[in-house]
Amino acid sequence: MANHSQFGFQDASSPIMEELVEFHDHALMVALAICSLVLYLLTLMLMEKLSSTTVDAQEIELIWTILPAIVLILLALPSLQILYMMDEVDEPDLTLKAIGHQWYWTYEYTDFKDLTFDSYMTPTTELSPGHFRLLEVDHRVVIPMESPIRIIVTASDVLHSWAIPALGVKTDAIPGRLNQTSFITTRPGIFYGQCSEICGANHSYMPIVVESTPLTHFEHWSSILSS
Amino acid sequence: QSFKLLGFLDVKSVPCARESVLYGSLGSLVVGLGHFLATSRVRRSCDFAVGGFICTMLGYWFYCRYNLAQHRIRQRMLKEGMRNKILFEGSSLDPERKQTGDERSDS
Repeated sequence: MANHSQFGFQDASSPIMEELVEFHDHALMVALAICSLVLYLLTLMLMEKLSSTTVDAQEIELIWTILPAIVLILLALPSLQILYMMDEVDEPDLTLKAIGHQWYWTYEYTDFKDLTFDSYMTPTTELSPGHFRLLEVDHRVVIPMESPIRIIVTASDVLHSWAIPALGVKTDAIPGRLNQTSFITTRPGIFYGQCSEICGANHSYMPIVVESTPLTHFEHWSSILSS
Repeated sequence: QSFKLLGFLDVKSVPCARESVLYGSLGSLVVGLGHFLATSRVRRSCDFAVGGFICTMLGYWFYCRYNLAQHRIRQRMLKEGMRNKILFEGSSLDPERKQTGDERSDS
C-alpha cells in the first residue's frame, strides 16, 4: 500500500510493474532534458530585445521538426513494447474471476473446485491493530506466488475497476463484458488496491486485497475454503 | 528524504539518474568552457553548454539504463537457474545430469 503523502509508485511486485516503473523513469529523464532546454530558451528570450528582422529560418524549422520526432520515437518505442507485453497471456496456472457489485467484489475460483466468496471492506470499527483503514477486507484474494494468474473481470450492475497499483493491474469491470488480464507476483506479500471507476456512494469503500503466498499455503487455503 | 530535480525527478531513488545529471553537468562545463576559451563568445558558449548538458546527460542515461537492463536480465536468468537446480536436482530433469550423461555417451 502507499505510505502517507507518498508521491511516487509503490514498490513493483510484478514484472510488468517493474517495466512500467523503468519506463516512467525514462520518460521523466526525457522530460527533464526538454524542460532544461525550454527553461534556457525562456531565459534567453527574456534577455533579448523585442525587435527581429527574421523573415526566413529554414535551419531552425528543420531542427524543431526533427527533434520532437526523435523525442516521440524515444518515448513511443518502450511504451509500445510494454503495451504489447501487458497483453500477453502465457499459459496461466490459475484463472479466477472478479465480479464487481455495489459495493463489494465477488471472486470465483472455478479451475479445480467451485470456490466463490464475497469480499467486503472491513469497517473501521472492526479493524484489528495493525490493519489499514478503508483497505482491509473480510476475505482476501489468495494466489500462489511466482505463478501466472489470469483474472477475468466483470460487473453485475454498474462500472467498476479492479486495480492493484503494486502489480500494475487495472482492468475495467463492465456489465455484460468479460475483460481479461494477467499478472505474476514476484514475491509473497499482501497487495492492496481500490475500485477505480466511480460506482456510487460507496465507491471508495470497496477495496481489493491480494495475498500472494507459496503454493503449499495456497493449496491449504483453498482446501479450507472448499470444505 | 528525496531530492527532486525541477520538482519531479527523484535523483536519489531512480537508478542512473544521479550519475546522468552529474555527468551532464560536467559535460556542460567542459563543452561550454572549452568553446568559450576557443572563441570568446559568451552567448554561443552558453548555447553549447546547454546542448552539452542535454547530450551528455541523455547519452549517459541510455548507456547506464542499457547496462542496468542487461544486469536485470542476467539476474532473472540466475534466479531461474538456481530455482530449477534446487527443484530438479537428482531427478531426470536435472540439467547437470543431462550434461554429464551426454559427456559419458560421447566418451
